[in-house]
Amino acid sequence: MKKDFKLIIDNDELENMPAIDSGMTDELQRWPLFGLSVGSFLQVIAMERQTCIMEVYLNAGHWGHFCFVQGELYDAVCGELEGEKAAMEMIVWENVRLNIKQILNTSGVARKIDKNLMLLLMESSRLRDEIHDGVQKPDGEEVEEEDEIDALEDVEDDAQYEKLNACLEIMGKDMGDALVAASISHVDESKIMASYRDAPEATAAVLRMTKFLRNSLRDAAADNLDDHYIVDLKGRQTLVVFIVGQYQWCIVFKNEKCTLGLLRNVIMPKALRAFDEIKLG
Amino acid sequence: MNIQKLNVCMDILKKDLGEGFVASCIITTDDGQVLVATDKANIAEATLLNDATSLIRNALKTYPAELGQYYYIDVAGNMAVLVIPFGDYQWTVTINKKLVKLGLLLNVVLPAVINAFEDAVVS
Repeated sequence: MKKDFKLIIDNDELENMPAIDSGMTDELQRWPLFGLSVGSFLQVIAMERQTCIMEVYLNAGHWGHFCFVQGELYDAVCGELEGEKAAMEMIVWENVRLNIKQILNTSGVARKIDKNLMLLLMESSRLRDEIHDGVQKPDGEEVEEEDEIDALEDVEDDAQYEKLNACLEIMGKDMGDALVAASISHVDESKIMASYRDAPEATAAVLRMTKFLRNSLRDAAADNLDDHYIVDLKGRQTLVVFIVGQYQWCIVFKNEKCTLGLLRNVIMPKALRAFDEIKLG
Repeated sequence: MNIQKLNVCMDILKKDLGEGFVASCIITTDDGQVLVATDKANIAEATLLNDATSLIRNALKTYPAELGQYYYIDVAGNMAVLVIPFGDYQWTVTINKKLVKLGLLLNVVLPAVINAFEDAVVS
């Protein structure tokens, strides 16, 4: 393997780092990139279609690596964990140290992760939200049972994710440059189902927004949030959230290239027809 | 702030919305106290929407984006709520959505009341 650093890093923060012993200094020098979140860096590597090993160091007991071939996540290792479990463990790490090594020969690299990287990022975002909401896993045998159910759900999720993404692609084609970002989520389960240029964090934040508005209306006026809300944004953009049963569509678009009327009356009905077909199918 | 002009803002709103006007109130964002309110105004809702505005501002940072001039909430039944944050103040307008067209509300009424309110605040 050959080192391949293509990034220019601002090392000013090194001077502000807390004092560390000399043994640790050598170890930390192995990790030239620091203060980053794993999730964001994974997206950069995928976007750049890199073929590399991305080593990740959180602390002495927590480190591992991701393996990419042409921007596709092939494998991950973290302690005794491998594949998707290792990836899910490391994706949520923040303020890590990183090292990138180029892979010159990919012939011996076996693919152990089939799931799309964006799907893994969204899943980790959902899990993080659940932890924040105080959802706890059961103990003992129930964990194994839950793992099996999760595995089955994952297969279904993958299929539905692709279909719902196709739904957003239809919208993307209709709106062209006007569409900034879009996503489909399950409101009650706080689960992101599909995404088009929308960061998982942003979608999760809008989900929290929807829940807050729903609760506020119910508590203060015994009213219910109906099928949409609109948020005017600076920079001539608009965020529209459509509530369709248990799902929400979150769309950010440029006002100068698409009107609210066109979105509500022409584009959205067409996208919702495709959405209904997927749900029924 | 000019209180008389603030009342003029409410008059403009009632006149422009006609029968579609249901209620309105203006609160201070700092402490959620009411400055002006019409008869049927739901003060509890307006206060909670003050918190909602803070949450929306924070949520938008993830895009990143910033809240513009308003947000509009479609409420089940005949009602809808337009929220207009103005820095230290927030104006909440409840309308009958069956009687007020969204295009008219956002493109005609909203610019007029924003101008009138800015005039009241600087006076």
